[in-house]
Amino acid sequence: MPEFETIVAPATASGESALAIVRLSGPRCGDIRISALKSRESSLKPRQAVLARYHNIKGTVVDHLVAIYYPAGNSFTGESMLELMCHGNPLICQLIIEDCIERGCRLAEPGEFSRLAFTNGKMDLSQAEAVADLIHARSEKAITAARKQLEGSVGEKVKMLLSSILHTTAHLEAYIDFPEEDLPPEDQQGPKHDLKELIDELNQLCATQHYRSLLNEGIRMVILGLPNAGKSSLLNALTGENRVIVSETPGTTRDYISERMMIGPYLVNFVDTAGIHETDSEIEQAGIARSLEQARKADICLWVVDASAPSPALPAALDQVFEATTTLVVENKSDLPRHSEMDEFLETLPHFQVSALKGSGLQDLRGELLKQIESGVLIPDEDMVLVSARHAEALETAKSHIQSSLDLLQRDEPAELAAQELHLAIEAMGRIIGKIDNESMLDELFQSFCIGK
Amino acid sequence: MSANLYNYDVIVCGAGHAGCEAALAAARLGARTLLLSGNIDTVAQMSCNPAIGGLAKGHMVREIDALGGEMGVNTDFTSIQFRLLNASKGPAVQAPRAQCDKKAYQFRMKHTLELTPNLDLFQSLVTGLIFKSGQVVGVKTQLNVDFMAKAVVVTTGTFLRALMHVGKSKSEGGRMGDFSAKTLSSSFQEAGIELERLKTGTPCRLLGSSIDFSSMQEQPGDLEPVTFGFYDTRFGEPLFHVEHGQRKVNESILARMFHVEQPNQTKQGWMPGKDQVSCWITYTGPKTSEIVNANLHQSAMYSGEIEGVGPRYCPSIEDKYVRFAEKEQHRLFLEPEGRNTDEWYVNGLSTSLPFDVQYEMLHSIPGLEQAHMLRPAYAVEYDYAQPTQLFASLESKKVENLFFAGQINGTSGYEEAAAQGLLAGINAVAKLRGEEPVVIQRHEGYMGVLIDDLVTKGTTEPYRMFTSRAEHRLLFNHASAELRLLPHLQRFSLVDSQRLGRIEEKARQVEHWREKLETTFTSGGSYADNIRKGSSEAILPEEMLALNESTREEILYRVRYKGYLEREHRMIRRMEKTHQLKIPQDFDYQQVNGLRAESAQKLMQIRPATLGQAGRISGVNPTDVSILMIALAARNKACRI
Repeated sequence: MPEFETIVAPATASGESALAIVRLSGPRCGDIRISALKSRESSLKPRQAVLARYHNIKGTVVDHLVAIYYPAGNSFTGESMLELMCHGNPLICQLIIEDCIERGCRLAEPGEFSRLAFTNGKMDLSQAEAVADLIHARSEKAITAARKQLEGSVGEKVKMLLSSILHTTAHLEAYIDFPEEDLPPEDQQGPKHDLKELIDELNQLCATQHYRSLLNEGIRMVILGLPNAGKSSLLNALTGENRVIVSETPGTTRDYISERMMIGPYLVNFVDTAGIHETDSEIEQAGIARSLEQARKADICLWVVDASAPSPALPAALDQVFEATTTLVVENKSDLPRHSEMDEFLETLPHFQVSALKGSGLQDLRGELLKQIESGVLIPDEDMVLVSARHAEALETAKSHIQSSLDLLQRDEPAELAAQELHLAIEAMGRIIGKIDNESMLDELFQSFCIGK
Repeated sequence: MSANLYNYDVIVCGAGHAGCEAALAAARLGARTLLLSGNIDTVAQMSCNPAIGGLAKGHMVREIDALGGEMGVNTDFTSIQFRLLNASKGPAVQAPRAQCDKKAYQFRMKHTLELTPNLDLFQSLVTGLIFKSGQVVGVKTQLNVDFMAKAVVVTTGTFLRALMHVGKSKSEGGRMGDFSAKTLSSSFQEAGIELERLKTGTPCRLLGSSIDFSSMQEQPGDLEPVTFGFYDTRFGEPLFHVEHGQRKVNESILARMFHVEQPNQTKQGWMPGKDQVSCWITYTGPKTSEIVNANLHQSAMYSGEIEGVGPRYCPSIEDKYVRFAEKEQHRLFLEPEGRNTDEWYVNGLSTSLPFDVQYEMLHSIPGLEQAHMLRPAYAVEYDYAQPTQLFASLESKKVENLFFAGQINGTSGYEEAAAQGLLAGINAVAKLRGEEPVVIQRHEGYMGVLIDDLVTKGTTEPYRMFTSRAEHRLLFNHASAELRLLPHLQRFSLVDSQRLGRIEEKARQVEHWREKLETTFTSGGSYADNIRKGSSEAILPEEMLALNESTREEILYRVRYKGYLEREHRMIRRMEKTHQLKIPQDFDYQQVNGLRAESAQKLMQIRPATLGQAGRISGVNPTDVSILMIALAARNKACRI
């Protein structure tokens, strides 16, 4: 029976570390706290870290650890919980978990703690997703965004929009269900205005999905250039790892390669591409096509030129990309003598001197990239609510129904059709924060209008 | 005395709107039926306003009529004013509403009961139920006579431990002038059926000759009345009628109806819609608000005398002034109670203020300065049984063969009561025959929404139907009720075979022509395209124009709203597969891994019949439904092995 089950699992990744956390949730937590930690009621106060010895069921001490006890109702999962911070030895962790299982606990399934929190009403759906994001978040900024969602900012925002939809729906419904009530004359200007505002707000909210993927997946920086300009060397130099095969033979990188790294608090996804030039080789042509495709998806482009080579002709296909995307010119091989044609070429072009090989100029380049990230539109305001792809899909659905509703009202079509679209919009919003009962609309209706013939 | 006198198939306790339909349905299906009432002079009495229909309610009356219930026809033949509400909106949300002659309504219904074969009407108050091993087997009456039956339908309205309030004055009774059923409640509780309290109220009634109508706005009836009964499919069926005078019977069925004879009037039946009577509109005056506000402490509701919860949609005048303080005046409707009385109902003036304050308030209203009260306004508190204790058949989960319908289930309104009564009557007979009950789906009609809401969510205020409660409202235009409910009609023939044949024919015609208009081309696209672009109906094939009006209108509705209606059907189909997944009644929710305790508890209490119903239980969220679906699939798999 679910309500009598206590689940246990390691809360930290396995492997040796300073500390490891074992987490328990369920009614047995209280017993284990007393029997395994031998702590008296008074010594282990709820929600306080306490040093204790963990005794297994035979009475042998397994480890000295720090324990925190959360009584039911006031914990992450809503059930009573115990968190044991033991030494970060996987064996100790395992012994404790095995002992807990012997004491009647069950090993938790992946994600079960979050699911409990969700099903016990401790989190809404968007918050539960935020937990997953928080675990997977790769950059400090993404963690901030996920934490905000965890605090319910998406849920709050959606609830705000929802209450506005409910209000408009109630307005339309009042005139449908209560035609003989003493309501103000039916006027669709108000609903139309409100729906327009809703659409604007939903547009803004959906647009933040982009930021969310920037933060979680990383800002895409695509390295482009002629063959042998040193693109892969630059990537290696920036990431500090020799992951990309570098060779003197031009055209080594036939496919693209991506590498993630942090620049400041931001996760950046560097994409190294095949050199772009005129060629008859089908394999190379395919590689070049992929490079261009990557370039079009870039948030920022790095155009690497070989300072020691003759001035490069810009391939026509890249023109459009450079027009549309922030592009930095990187003058590589600055350790070699500059080719005479290059002076003229670089004179008109703001650029950064780098020697990927020697590692010079990289600090400046990183600094400039950080500046570009922060000055550009790539990063949202601190207090902006960010939505995930799943939220955006639901919000887009809601928006299209609201748009239909507005169109119907503007064409003076029957109000029940417009109302039906709004009910569908409400249903779509429910996919983010959970089912919305029609009673909420009726509550709004009876609060807004004096019904009572 | 023969044992037959005391033995029936079905006993119905209470002869209000639910009880009449339940008894008629059971008897018409061939069950020997006894209808017990504490006072058979109050059969089918309209305890509150003298009107039937309106939004969602009018829709429901048409559904009752489609299923072979009595309310529609009874209303048509005793109505004194017809109005089609929302005539300016789309067909889905248009609804007929009728002011009835209160007494005529009762007399016609009572006589219908009297004339129905298999049905005995008898006056005696039911004092308790007789149970035997978890089943109900009969009822006890005040006469100390027991009646036995295979099934019992309880339709006691507001009469269980009923308490009426006028200010601080309290008296027992479910309606002014009537009794309170004081012992039946304990019989339910013995059987483990839990009871709660609700509150409702009714305004004062006035003497017409003391009202100054000259300052009021007249609200006449429609010149072309829209009726509740489907007469295109039942033409030729003998209808109840009392013949008077020398008038030759008109060929039209509409002329052959019941009427009440009275002095100084032409001795003739009135056609539905003929000689209609107007309602009148006035507003509360500037002094009214002062009087109400100054006396709030004397109101039974505001002084805490009443514990029951009143409806949000039918606030007392005290409520209106408190909750909408900024509103200067409130609209009131004066509705005639009949042709043979000068009693008028004041719609919008419900109150539980003391009698003297009621008078003071009344006289502050323009047109009512000299009004004489015939009956005061009062509030009434009564027991109801939370309807989540019922299956969708309206049978009690605790006591087998015991059915509940009407206000005892926490509903409000004659129409809601009649709808439940009809289904409870049909399902009592289905139970006796060992057949599957009639359960109307949420997408088939308001009756389906009503029952599903009640048994799934329960209610804490008197439940009234609104069109917005139906997620597939666009499919529920009132004129399509027969077509929507056809599959149920084919199972339970409350309507005769002739009418059923006509309904089936109508369904065929509608589908045939809908299809034909979509696929037959004329200049500028198909006929259907032209209609949707706003062409006049005159372009349509003559053969179609020759169809009767209701068939024609239905075809046009389906053509005009094609996109919207198709979307509804798509949504229904999409949900059907998962929503109709049956949950066995013995399903052990506690064994479901991952289901939170609170949901398991709710689910055990409601015991939903399908996964769809489980998802509509308040507090059961989509995750619970997913978990449940997986558990059901696993169980089915295990069963197959």
